[in-house]
Amino acid sequence: MPTIVCTAKVVYKKTPGILELTDTLLQWTQNGQKAPSVRVPYAEAASLFCSKEGAPQVKLKIALFGDDNGHNFTFMASNPVALGEREKFKTELTTIIGRNRKVLDASSKLPTAPIPSSTTPIPQVSRPSIVPSRTSASRATSVSSDSIRATPIIPGIDPAADFRHRKNVFLNNPDLAVLHRELVVGGHITEAEFWEGREHLIYTQVAQDSQRKGKSGVIVDPRTETVDGVIQLTPQLIQDTFEQYPVVAKAHSENVPSKVFTCNVNDVVRIFFFTNTDTTKLSEAEFWTRYFRSKLFNAHRASIRSAATQHVVKDDPIFDKYLEKDDDELEPRRQRDVAMDLFVDLGATREDHEDTGNEKDVTMQAGKQKGALPLIRKGEGPSSKRLKLTTDEREVEGIDIEDLHDLEPSAGIALEMQDSQRYFEGQMQDTGQDGTKESLDIKSIIRNTVVNLQQWDLNLSQVNSLVLVLCYHSSKMFLKLKVERKAYDAALVSMTQNVHARLDAQSRKNDIPENLFKQMRSCQSAANEFLRHFWASISPPMSEGPTLGPSTPSQRAAKAAKMIAFLSRTHEKVTALAQIAQQQSVDPARVEVAMQPVLRAVDRALTFYHNKRLGQRLDQ
Amino acid sequence: MKFNIDTLPIIFPYDRIYPEQYAYMCDLKRTLDATGHCVLEMPSGTGKTVSLLSLIVSYQQFYPTRRKLIYCSRTVPEIEKALAELKRLMSYRISCAETEGEKQKERDFTGLGLTSRKNLCIHTEVSKEKKGKVVDARCRDLTNSAVCEKGRTDPGSVELCDWHENLGQLEPGTLVPRGIMTLADVLQHGKDNTTCPYFTVRRMLPFVDIIIYSFHYLLDPKVAEQVSKEMSKDAIVVFDEAHNIGLTYNVCIESLSIDLTRPMLDSAARSVGKLGDKIEEIKVTDAAKLQNEYANLVEGLQDNTTDPEDQDGFMTAPVLPDDLLHEAIPGNIRKAEHFVAFLKRFVEYLKTRMRVLHVVAETPLSFLQHLKDITYIERRPLRTLELSRLDEHASLQKVASFATLVSTYEKGFLLILEPFETDSATVPNPIFHFTCLDPSLAIKPVFERFSSVVITSGTISPLDMYPKMLQFTPVVQETYPMTLTRNAFLPLVITRGSDQVAISSRFEVRNDPAVVRNFGSILIEYSKIVPDGIVAFFPSYLYMESIVAAWNDMGILNEVWKNKLIFVETPDANETSIALENYRRACDNGRGAVLLSVARGKVSEGIDFDHNYGRAVIMFGVPYQYTESRILKARLEYLRDAYRIRESEFLGFDAMRNAAQCVGRVLRGKTDWGLMVFADKRFARADKRAKLPRWINQYITETASNLSTDMALTLSKLFMRTISQNPNENQTGISLWTLDDVLKAQAKQAAEVEQQNDQEGDEYGDGGISDQMMIDFELDG
Repeated sequence: MPTIVCTAKVVYKKTPGILELTDTLLQWTQNGQKAPSVRVPYAEAASLFCSKEGAPQVKLKIALFGDDNGHNFTFMASNPVALGEREKFKTELTTIIGRNRKVLDASSKLPTAPIPSSTTPIPQVSRPSIVPSRTSASRATSVSSDSIRATPIIPGIDPAADFRHRKNVFLNNPDLAVLHRELVVGGHITEAEFWEGREHLIYTQVAQDSQRKGKSGVIVDPRTETVDGVIQLTPQLIQDTFEQYPVVAKAHSENVPSKVFTCNVNDVVRIFFFTNTDTTKLSEAEFWTRYFRSKLFNAHRASIRSAATQHVVKDDPIFDKYLEKDDDELEPRRQRDVAMDLFVDLGATREDHEDTGNEKDVTMQAGKQKGALPLIRKGEGPSSKRLKLTTDEREVEGIDIEDLHDLEPSAGIALEMQDSQRYFEGQMQDTGQDGTKESLDIKSIIRNTVVNLQQWDLNLSQVNSLVLVLCYHSSKMFLKLKVERKAYDAALVSMTQNVHARLDAQSRKNDIPENLFKQMRSCQSAANEFLRHFWASISPPMSEGPTLGPSTPSQRAAKAAKMIAFLSRTHEKVTALAQIAQQQSVDPARVEVAMQPVLRAVDRALTFYHNKRLGQRLDQ
Repeated sequence: MKFNIDTLPIIFPYDRIYPEQYAYMCDLKRTLDATGHCVLEMPSGTGKTVSLLSLIVSYQQFYPTRRKLIYCSRTVPEIEKALAELKRLMSYRISCAETEGEKQKERDFTGLGLTSRKNLCIHTEVSKEKKGKVVDARCRDLTNSAVCEKGRTDPGSVELCDWHENLGQLEPGTLVPRGIMTLADVLQHGKDNTTCPYFTVRRMLPFVDIIIYSFHYLLDPKVAEQVSKEMSKDAIVVFDEAHNIGLTYNVCIESLSIDLTRPMLDSAARSVGKLGDKIEEIKVTDAAKLQNEYANLVEGLQDNTTDPEDQDGFMTAPVLPDDLLHEAIPGNIRKAEHFVAFLKRFVEYLKTRMRVLHVVAETPLSFLQHLKDITYIERRPLRTLELSRLDEHASLQKVASFATLVSTYEKGFLLILEPFETDSATVPNPIFHFTCLDPSLAIKPVFERFSSVVITSGTISPLDMYPKMLQFTPVVQETYPMTLTRNAFLPLVITRGSDQVAISSRFEVRNDPAVVRNFGSILIEYSKIVPDGIVAFFPSYLYMESIVAAWNDMGILNEVWKNKLIFVETPDANETSIALENYRRACDNGRGAVLLSVARGKVSEGIDFDHNYGRAVIMFGVPYQYTESRILKARLEYLRDAYRIRESEFLGFDAMRNAAQCVGRVLRGKTDWGLMVFADKRFARADKRAKLPRWINQYITETASNLSTDMALTLSKLFMRTISQNPNENQTGISLWTLDDVLKAQAKQAAEVEQQNDQEGDEYGDGGISDQMMIDFELDG
């Protein structure tokens, strides 16, 4: 299986499918089909077009040597996502096309003129040879997607979709992807463990993906932008015209020769035009020129102004066939028979009783302005069509007055206090006892709070080592608050030093070789991840959604043990790093200083764990 | 909540109540107690219908007389909404009832809604017809008594309606289970039981406690005679949305006016010809039968007894004065052939009149100089001839109604012949208008017959004009302000565009590109800042259609399309309904939409744009009536002569009331909010604004009464930013009452009354003997 550089869901010729860029070709596979039906080898790609930023549809058009029409792909994902996907394809393809061009320039003397539209396939000898030279470059970016595919899929609602969402999370968050590669692909923790506590990233991704911006409601109204009456025809305009006026699409398909794609054994796409003997067939350009001059076009504009342009409009034997009668009768030409909700049924009122009385005043007779009716109806059609893209069920009650109801008291959030009994006892003691005991109690409360606070902090998905340091120091600080002032000062000094060291390390980042720095980073983030899992297993977070992690205490204990095993190796790792640093003539002390916070956090976790184990054993 | 007004226990289906609602209910009760009429103006969206129903149902259930309620509204959506409201109220009452007996009493309370055959038909074939007239005619052919008799004695000989036949086998009064059924419920019940929903409702009328239908069924004499004549005199009649029964162009006047055109006369002439042929035919085959039928008909008319089971519904001749019915049938129409010959002559006469190429206005009396002997023409002769598909003779019926009306009324009517459609037209398209000028004529029988008539709406100012024009004396006449703890709506008057060009829909400037563009930019800018739905109203269809076309050419519609979808009211009601449905969907799913519609149009009546369906309503121009209309001129003249109401004054009131009606559609409840934009420089004038209902006018500040587009936008943004926050103040107690607040208010009121009594007591001095002493004294004695 070829390496896939990037993939996206796209619509091609109105059929949904998957567009993939492998290391040799761009291929499109229709949904449900196994073999790709469109294959464009790199060497074929001549140029690339994208729809404008902010256009309702995200499109990518690739033109081939010999076929300027090329292939049009519309990205199916919602706007921001699709833009991102396209950007990927664009960067990859641009380099490829750039290279193609160079080759083309070099071999410009060779017969590479565009292939006439009615040719039978000509084997293109010169191009395929270029292909292998290019593969290495594109492969670099393909690693991640390839390796992810090998990982097990966690059972979810829809594994495939789940997988896609996760991939998207990684695409948007390269650091996370690196971490994932190290820990999960490296086999340290499972996929499920990795995602535990990061569910929200997936949920956010799902929410983002599911939010679709509706299509723009603008009706195509091509106008001449220059004095000489030239209409700029863009693929977008063509697409919109086809969509809003199906009759034009029909005319186009009937009068402009269509293209058919076939694949030969060498996976080289050939395009043929059906040579048609029928002389009435039009070329693309001819089609549009005649359309814009036809009555049909003017009917579609349906404005008062069109009356003034009558004299410019020529009879056109082809387009006049498609001309429909103006929809300007009082009743619409197309009667839509739908059962109406009586709450909005205006027709029911009209039929409620016999018409009586005098005719309405001339100003109050609807539909007197015949010219406006087709326009009104035309606007209505697309408007309702746009709506169909997003259908939401709703309820029509419409009679209830909300604010006359009593406010339902909300359930509120129960205050869960640890050791509440002690809290209340403490209060009682407060009132009853003298000050000596009070300080002791407060001390223990502070200790509790600090522990809780730390755990709460640790539950945050991205634990920064600095936070850990602060926690560590502050816990010390609090504990000794009343006991020794000196220690407090020392802690403060050490913290300042630490921050200073980090700053120093950062400012002199370039001094540390990139390779080593990367290792340090990965070591640190791995340790953080383990810490996260450790603390999460000690005190499971209050989760809102379903979590992927283990839930029973025994599972958690096992996990904690596992994490501790990992964590206990951190020291070795840091030492190893320091050694490497020495080898590369970097001061190992700097590495150690940089890794200090992590080590402390790890130590703390280790002590906590051992204490706990000790406590448990004593209990038994 | 449950509370008492005086001794009447009220059950109100909410936990809280607005002070307006409480006051409204008190006034309503006063009216009912006095068995008199009232006019009540209550702000839009403050739960008028629910207060009304809640009080009246409580009243009906408490007093043993159980006065029937006839509730009239204008449109089917409003009727359906009222039924749904009633259904909700009754289920609340059932849940509140303490004993099983009480519960049963609430369950027995029955209410139905009535509409046309077209809306209620479920016959597989007939219901597919598009036109109401055709449905009526085909239904009659399947259900009239002659056909039924024939079909029952000789099954299979004629086609009958199964749904109608099934209904006949049920006991009268038990056609549907007791309780409240909306129109949709009745339709469903009919489908489930294969019974005819239309006749179900018609035949249940004598057995229900509440009937809800449109104004026409009570005001249009042709219909009222059939549908509403059995309603007992002590019934309570409510005209909701009563701005529609008021003045010009309203139900009262429309029900007595009629138009004839040349194509109608041509078609009528053809019908007469066909009738003549038929008569000849019958004469040959069955002369005796014809004579018999005719004799029956004459007798039947003189007895003036209509078959209560009259299936022939609404298409009967106009109501006739009693004395006319007791006169002998004039000789010249006593025989069918004479009758037809007479009709023929009349149609020919009208056609001749229509050849005139100048405008003619004359009174019915002068018209009758040529046609002295015309009395009435009834549908019955047509039935005698056993004609099927009566709808084909619709034009002839129109001519007959025309003749009858012309000959019946002398005062308050005018005949206008307009040979050309517009002043500029050259091809004649003559229309013969027979127009009613006096709105009191149609409603007079209602006031005379029913003891309590309630006229209520969100916008019926000036209040005193109504009793004057409809000629009745109200017991209570009240308008309620809106109590708000924070301004839930922001009325803004935009008088000029950002370029300082004054905007107006005045005839002279309305098509000025600068004005059109400025109107357009208001819409564009508001479509950018307002969430969900925006409703825009234009003064007329003509103006809306031309401005939509102009906006398209100016690229304004495309600008709006970038922000919201656009839906426009079209001539076709069904098409507009679909647009409306889509509009609401766009508002629900967050896409947002703009609805362009017409004041006094189809949408402005009966469709609410509460909450997200209307966060802003823009009134483009002042919705004046078309003052060039000859009919309007005649009516205004009549108003001036008869009631001393100045034309300009009246037109101003009418326009502002309609504007208020449109903007009032955006509110339901006091937490709902919306912008109300009046875009016309004429709205800035204080005398114009003074004609708006009080509850709107009181919130127009001096600064907000003369704005340019950009200033209005700034204010609107500020308003939306504040209103979208949670209200800090508690509304309760001020604009929202709990049960305690109600009791407090009652206690306060009682104290005031007491104080007043005390004062009175002091004034008159009853010798220091209190009531209690008197009672004690009596007991002792």
